[in-house]
Amino acid sequence: MATTTATITLGSGDIADSNFSVSNTATLTTAGTATGITKTTGLTRVTTSATSNVVLLDSSATGGVQVAANATDIDKGKVFIQNLNDRGDGTKYVTILLTAVEIGRLYGGDFMFFPWDGGDGNDVEITPSSTTDTTLEYILFYQ
Amino acid sequence: MATTTATISLGSADILSQAISLSSTMTLYKDGTESTGLEQMNYHRADIPTGTQFVLISESAALNTNPANYVYICNKNTDVTHYVTISIKDEVIGSLYAGDWMFIPFNNATTATAGSDDPSGDDTDIAIQAFTATNTIEYAMFHSGETLLTHTAS
Repeated sequence: MATTTATITLGSGDIADSNFSVSNTATLTTAGTATGITKTTGLTRVTTSATSNVVLLDSSATGGVQVAANATDIDKGKVFIQNLNDRGDGTKYVTILLTAVEIGRLYGGDFMFFPWDGGDGNDVEITPSSTTDTTLEYILFYQ
Repeated sequence: MATTTATISLGSADILSQAISLSSTMTLYKDGTESTGLEQMNYHRADIPTGTQFVLISESAALNTNPANYVYICNKNTDVTHYVTISIKDEVIGSLYAGDWMFIPFNNATTATAGSDDPSGDDTDIAIQAFTATNTIEYAMFHSGETLLTHTAS
C-alpha cells in the first residue's frame, strides 16, 4: 500500500475579531479501511479555449477512469483541480460540474479538493467562462 | 475587506515510482474583483445521525448572486468505517470517511424557477447523509452574503 496525505490550512487574521485558523491532514485510504490508496492518474495539465463543457475526468466504462467496476458501489476517489490562470479582474473562471450539476467556480489561482464517488456517467466536467486559454492541473487518487 | 487564505499540500513518497509533492495557496476573493477578499464566514460543528439526508448548507438567493463562495467540510470521526455522503441537487459528489476533508467552490447555481422553499430555484443545498454511525462534522463557508430569513413570531 501507499501513503498519500492531503493537508488543508485555512487562515485569516481579520475575517473575525480573533485570528481564525484550521488545519487538517487526511491520509487517503480505500473505502472503510486504513489501507492506503494505490492508484492515481498522475498530475495532468490541460489548456483549453473551449467555452462548452469539457470532460476532465471520464468515469464511463469505456475510455475513462472507471472508479467502480460496479457503479453502485461506494468508492473513494479524491480529486484535486487547480486553475493556473492569473486571476485578472476576477471575471474569468471555469465552472466545475459533476455530470450536469454545477458545483462552483474556480477563478484564476483557485483550487479544490473533493471526494468523488465516480460511477458510470458521473464525469467531472469544466466549462470555461471565456475563450481565453484556460490552463488547469488535476490529479485523481482512487482505489 | 478581509484576507483569508487556503493552503493545500498533497504528497506521497510511494504511490508512484517517483515522489509526488504539490502545494498551493489561494486567497479567497469576491466574484468580479481583482483583490477584494470575502468578509463573511460561518463555522459549524454538528453531529449527523444516520437514516436520512439533511441540509448542511442552505441555498440562498444571496449566495447565487455572489457566486464566489467556498466550502470546507471535515469528518471528525475516527472509526474508518464511518462516513457521510455529500450531495448538491440530486448528485452525490462523494463520500467523506473518518478523517477526510473537502474544500470546494460553491456558486449555488440557478437553472429553474424559484419557490418559497427553493430561493435559488434549483434545490442546490449542500446535503449530507451519515452512514454506519452518527458522524461529527465540522464545516465552514466563506462567502459575501447569505439571504437572512425574516423572523415571524408564532
